[in-house]
Amino acid sequence: MTTLPTPTSPAAGSAERGHSPAPAPPPARFTGARILSDGIPQVFLIAWGLLVVLPMLWVLISSLKTNREIFTSPFGLPETWEFGTYVDAWQTANIGRFFFNTVVVVVCGVLLTLLFSSMAAYVLARYEFPGNRFIYYLFLAGMMFPLFLAIVPLVKVTQNLGLYQNLVGLIIVYVAFSLPFSVFFLTAFFQSLPKELAEAAFIDGAGHFRTFFQIMLPLARPGLISIGVFNFLGQWNQYMLPLVLNTPKDDERSNFLLTQGLADLALRTRYESSATSVAEMFAGLVIAMIPVLAVYIVFQRRVEEGLTAGALK
Amino acid sequence: MATVTYDQASRIYPGSDKPAVDKLDLEISDGEFMVLVGPSGCGKSTSLRMLAGLEEINDGAVRIGERDVTHLPPKDRDIAMVFQNYALYPHMTVAENMGFALKMQGVSKDQRLKKVREAAQLLGLEEFLDRKPKALSGGQRQRVAMGRAIVREPKVFLMDEPLSNLDAKLRVSTRTQIAALQRRLGITTVYVTHDQTEAMTMGDRVAVLKDGLLQQNDTPLNLYDKPNNLFVAGFIGSPAMNLLTGKVTNSGVDVGAYTVPLEASVKTKLGSETTATIGIRPEAFRIVGSEENGLTVEVAVVEELGADAYLYGLLNGGTDEQKEIIARIDARRPPEKGAKVKLAADPERIHVFSTTTGERVSG
Repeated sequence: MTTLPTPTSPAAGSAERGHSPAPAPPPARFTGARILSDGIPQVFLIAWGLLVVLPMLWVLISSLKTNREIFTSPFGLPETWEFGTYVDAWQTANIGRFFFNTVVVVVCGVLLTLLFSSMAAYVLARYEFPGNRFIYYLFLAGMMFPLFLAIVPLVKVTQNLGLYQNLVGLIIVYVAFSLPFSVFFLTAFFQSLPKELAEAAFIDGAGHFRTFFQIMLPLARPGLISIGVFNFLGQWNQYMLPLVLNTPKDDERSNFLLTQGLADLALRTRYESSATSVAEMFAGLVIAMIPVLAVYIVFQRRVEEGLTAGALK
Repeated sequence: MATVTYDQASRIYPGSDKPAVDKLDLEISDGEFMVLVGPSGCGKSTSLRMLAGLEEINDGAVRIGERDVTHLPPKDRDIAMVFQNYALYPHMTVAENMGFALKMQGVSKDQRLKKVREAAQLLGLEEFLDRKPKALSGGQRQRVAMGRAIVREPKVFLMDEPLSNLDAKLRVSTRTQIAALQRRLGITTVYVTHDQTEAMTMGDRVAVLKDGLLQQNDTPLNLYDKPNNLFVAGFIGSPAMNLLTGKVTNSGVDVGAYTVPLEASVKTKLGSETTATIGIRPEAFRIVGSEENGLTVEVAVVEELGADAYLYGLLNGGTDEQKEIIARIDARRPPEKGAKVKLAADPERIHVFSTTTGERVSG
């Protein structure tokens, strides 16, 4: 927040009179109106920040408590920090397995989404051919197709293809559902890139594939990062699709994803209190949150990085 | 090294009836520096892009050397192009930018490095080879773009207004550098610009285009001395030629009180036309006595440039009453603002054009 010097501000006053550069007194005396105009948004932002941070903090702290503590003093600090809950969650509650499954599905899903959507978007944005618009609108139409309408047919199709209860099947479905928006976003992005760069590459002797992979794709990096982060968050948090397409294959639920595993854990703590602990569930939640936070923190700045600076002029 | 031939080459953009380039016929000889010049939308860039293979050729043919390249993709034409905005690959260093074409040709890494170094030395870019384009100034980027073209030793250089993004001073110095470099390398060059000064100073020959049609194609001096038509006359030269319409009489052409004598041959060529347009370059004018045969001009502004002075005045009388007249005058004895002066020109330095067709009729 910047404080503009007001006429009553002693700092501004002394500067004008050219007084000695002694440590300036506190810059501004807030008038009533300024407290309101500057303060109210701050209050809202702080409140919002607390709303977001406190539950996460609560989950984190609860994950370090014993089961007993969670129920006796839900908001207190743990007497001893029980890091063992994480080990339990990872091993006995099988979170490790779910985590691994999720990483495989989401990493493959995001990479394939990026590959296919950028290829489709590049062609739609850069090449004139009959049916170009039609294909583009077909992708857009995909955005309007509700997931729930597709569930029953999807189950049938994946069963027929032998991809039911199968991570590969899940990856394919994830990619299919991520393509429309990704193509839409990246088409606009490719259109905004200077066409002279592709032309320069053609003249330099690069074919279509090389031009795409060595020139245009690196240029599209900011767009790819944005859409990649967006898809990562979406696919990591996906619950509906695994719930119906990735039903338990065995008693260990070895094919489960994190979201399924956590929901399952929550269910079981309610009915089989001896089997698992609430603390383990909280630990699982924290484990599930870490990659999302990490991706967001790492890429947040690079999403907006302008890579094309310097290409022109 | 090669010649370039446009043979009735036309380009019609989809959704338009009018050709952007209409039956262009142009022969560019080996090692020649050819400048395409014209106002925006005249088809000069389109012509260049047709040669590059970036624009389809709807009719006619384009040949590089003996080879018909009309339907070849850009990479098979052995050309290099410098773009107006340079189009440097932002994610590659200067050296990678310059070596990219060689890499595509499968030249070995050592050879590539050697050639890039040679070109960098020629252009004074050695210290920047590891930088990304982002970290270069406008002039340096321009040189990298030139370097990228030089490195591959193409048959033809294509340049699309490569100086238009530089500031005025740098433009003038780079102009001479490019011309000198081209002469040294001896590579056939087609250069597009809208700036007639660039065209005049750089080209061995200049082709003037307007509305997709080639107006005239000649050496800079011939264009200046013998413009084919009114458009070329008005476009080439700065300040522009004064063009005045007058009545054809027995003794010549009357522009207000000024009678321009016509040679018999010119008169025959004009035939039955009752009006003619005469063109007089600013430097052809001289101030004459008030009772002599000449144009009466009211002085509006005198631009004093030191060596020269240009008089901007408004014409008194005639069909072009109040038309602006520009004349180069003696810098040491400029007339007063608002004064009326009489201007006349040597008959042999007067161009005569048909008013109806715009074609040149004087010899």
